[in-house]
Amino acid sequence: MLSYIVRRILSTIPVMLIVALFVFSLLYIAPGDPAAIIAGDQATPADVERIRISLGLDRPFLVRFGDWFWHVLHGDLGTSIFTNLPVTHMIAQRIEPTVSLLILTLLISLVFAIPMGVLAAWKHGTWIDRTVMMTAVMGFSTPVFVIGYVLAYVFALRLDWLPVQGFTPIEDGFWPFLRTLILPSVALGLIYMALIARITRATMLDVLSQDYVRTAKAKGVGQRGLLFVHALKNAAVPIVTIVGIGFAALIGGAVVTESVFAIPGLGRLTVDAILRRDYPVIQGVVLLFSFAYVLINLGVDLLYTLFDPRIRY
Amino acid sequence: MDRRGFLKTAAIAATGALAAPRLSLAADSKTLRFVPQANLANLDPIWTTQYVVRNGGLLIWDTLLGVDDQLQAKPQMAESWENTPDFKTWTFKLRPGLKFHDGEPVLAKDVVASIKRWMVRDAPMGVPIKKRTDALEVVDDRTFRFRLNLPYPKMPFALGKSSTPCLFIMPERIALTDPFKQITEYVGSGPMRFKKEEWVPGAKAVFEKFDGYAPRAEKANWLSGGKRINFDRIEWQIVPDGATAAAALQNGEVDWVETPLPDLYPLLAKSAGVKVDVADPLGNIGSFRLNHLNPPFNDVRARRAVQIALSQEDYMEAVVGDDTSLWKTLPGFFTPNTPLYTEFGGEPLKGKRDYDQAKKLLAEAGYKNEPIILLVATDVAITKAQGDVTADLLKRIGMNVQYQALDWGTVGQRRASKEPIDKGGWNIFHTWHAGADCVNPAPYTALDASGDTAWFGWPKSDAVQAKIAEWYEAPDPATEKRVIADLNKAAMDDVVYIPTGFFQFKQAWRANLAGVVKAPFPVFWDVTKA
Repeated sequence: MLSYIVRRILSTIPVMLIVALFVFSLLYIAPGDPAAIIAGDQATPADVERIRISLGLDRPFLVRFGDWFWHVLHGDLGTSIFTNLPVTHMIAQRIEPTVSLLILTLLISLVFAIPMGVLAAWKHGTWIDRTVMMTAVMGFSTPVFVIGYVLAYVFALRLDWLPVQGFTPIEDGFWPFLRTLILPSVALGLIYMALIARITRATMLDVLSQDYVRTAKAKGVGQRGLLFVHALKNAAVPIVTIVGIGFAALIGGAVVTESVFAIPGLGRLTVDAILRRDYPVIQGVVLLFSFAYVLINLGVDLLYTLFDPRIRY
Repeated sequence: MDRRGFLKTAAIAATGALAAPRLSLAADSKTLRFVPQANLANLDPIWTTQYVVRNGGLLIWDTLLGVDDQLQAKPQMAESWENTPDFKTWTFKLRPGLKFHDGEPVLAKDVVASIKRWMVRDAPMGVPIKKRTDALEVVDDRTFRFRLNLPYPKMPFALGKSSTPCLFIMPERIALTDPFKQITEYVGSGPMRFKKEEWVPGAKAVFEKFDGYAPRAEKANWLSGGKRINFDRIEWQIVPDGATAAAALQNGEVDWVETPLPDLYPLLAKSAGVKVDVADPLGNIGSFRLNHLNPPFNDVRARRAVQIALSQEDYMEAVVGDDTSLWKTLPGFFTPNTPLYTEFGGEPLKGKRDYDQAKKLLAEAGYKNEPIILLVATDVAITKAQGDVTADLLKRIGMNVQYQALDWGTVGQRRASKEPIDKGGWNIFHTWHAGADCVNPAPYTALDASGDTAWFGWPKSDAVQAKIAEWYEAPDPATEKRVIADLNKAAMDDVVYIPTGFFQFKQAWRANLAGVVKAPFPVFWDVTKA
């Protein structure tokens, strides 16, 4: 197992190398000019050109890539063109809000979605099943920003229970921290909840029709034990797969959620950097995300062994 | 108590407990929470000309002179100045007791170094002054002198103007930084110091009151007078979504939103505890920028064709909406309600729009349905709205428009291309100019018609350039007005660019703030919070 984990982590190196080269090439050929943005609307073309030269953007592709990659190998992701701050510093400033948002979203989603899916499967064909599935379809179909605005209107503006926007770090107190994350997590989590609930229902329906479940019923196993001990454990592998894939997809959803709720996370950092063509920041964040994707997939693979003893690496 | 009674009581108690703490994070009267127009991504107001950086810079750095609401330059860090009658020698004396945030005194050498850096980057006024300067010398710790080889009567305005880049005074060691490279220390002598350790670019910037600041005795008026800050901290919160910013203001989480979404003005105006009013009395001028190098707009007849067909009402309704108190048509190039405003020569933009005549002019110019490349920054509401109207207008006069939807970063790059259309060139892009930059020809980059060295589009008009030169030498206001009228007509005749109208935006703030004024930039001094 340990050697498998080490091999998987080592295998991320060529993946990230390819990602780095791909992102760098993409940014190189993409239109846009940070020098023009820095210089401002009223700047003369000559000023823009001088800023471009001072930033080293006039250098050939391979020179720029080689220079950047050499620094990355030394743990230096470079310096933001705009803020003049190290990219690692900017990522460190933004990582807590995003990780907090994603974890809370995951928790809320799992706590609600898995029981909903199990319940829908158990009460298959009844009004409970239809209600759960209708809710799931609504969760799928409603964009995050619409849900975000509605939640903010109801719970912040009308009821005055929670803040509209912002983020409070956990060191400033758990409740203030949680309060700023509840609405964004719910907004972001609805799609995720819908996805997990549907998959849970589908896999549970499949498992509940298996012979061993019928046998267990015949032997007098209670409903709770049947559902949560026998059936759910055997339905877990596809659920864990979708939780992993969905969690990776949540990173994309976080971009919108962070903008709507003004959370200073990595999603907003990425969008700001792309709009400004802040190349070092874009490259740094994409590298980080690619590493996170690889780790999530590794985590999912390892979880399989917990639920299915037949799986060995 | 029965079961129902218990549940009812518990529900009321729970609801009350949750609703009780009013989430007014802006309750502290010594902290002002401000939502700026854009992200404060850096803080070198010479390296970049973005307005948001200038606005932050106004807290950190003081200026030698400063314009008031009549656009008159008044002494600020300067105690006094004098000039020779030929406007060739200018001597400035600093106020005593000025200190930088690091405790060092402000000396003439700091000012000279700051001016030298600024002169390289301020194309409209700094560069011309640099060209005329024989010597910029320190006389003593509080005195410095310009010796010019040509007169420059507009020197006080140049050193005190609010348009970017402003002349901010920095310590010499910082001001010696290459003007094309970013400074790394934000040490000024302004009323607030920048808390770099609390800076999260894209999220928050914090300014702390500088106790060593010595305000002037006069009442503050825009950039002039005593800049008295009534807050210990000013926190800039970057809220990228306009609807969220408005909701945060309604909820009391922020105190002041610099540029709320125009669509939300009515909602905010009706909200309890929120005030809404015009932000900048000098407003903005929409711009239809043509490329004078590429056909068909290298022919003045083609430019005039668009000019006589263009309806400013259409543009303004698209940009601002149907609240006509916030916009007006503008048959001229200069900011309305300022001393040099004129409509002389503005007839092509007045009256009924003439599509038939426009088509005739296009035919005379030899236009044969070639594609017209319209660059539209769709991520900026103002340029997107203008671009949509233009696409419709060009179709109406029979042009083959290619609407290229881009983001502003890409437009910024593409517009710098002087190449022909088949090599990535362009014909039209839209932007807007702050009214403060259009009060006279000095800061008005967009009106420069010097051809190859002019602003994007590279218009060339000897008549326009002659009038601009004449204005610089104008000895009195009456002559200035006459020259500006001729300049307006010349620029209109040669269609340097086409103004799409004059418009204003509003700012919104919590009703417990007092002292919010209208200006081309947020004025924090004299604002109080109850």
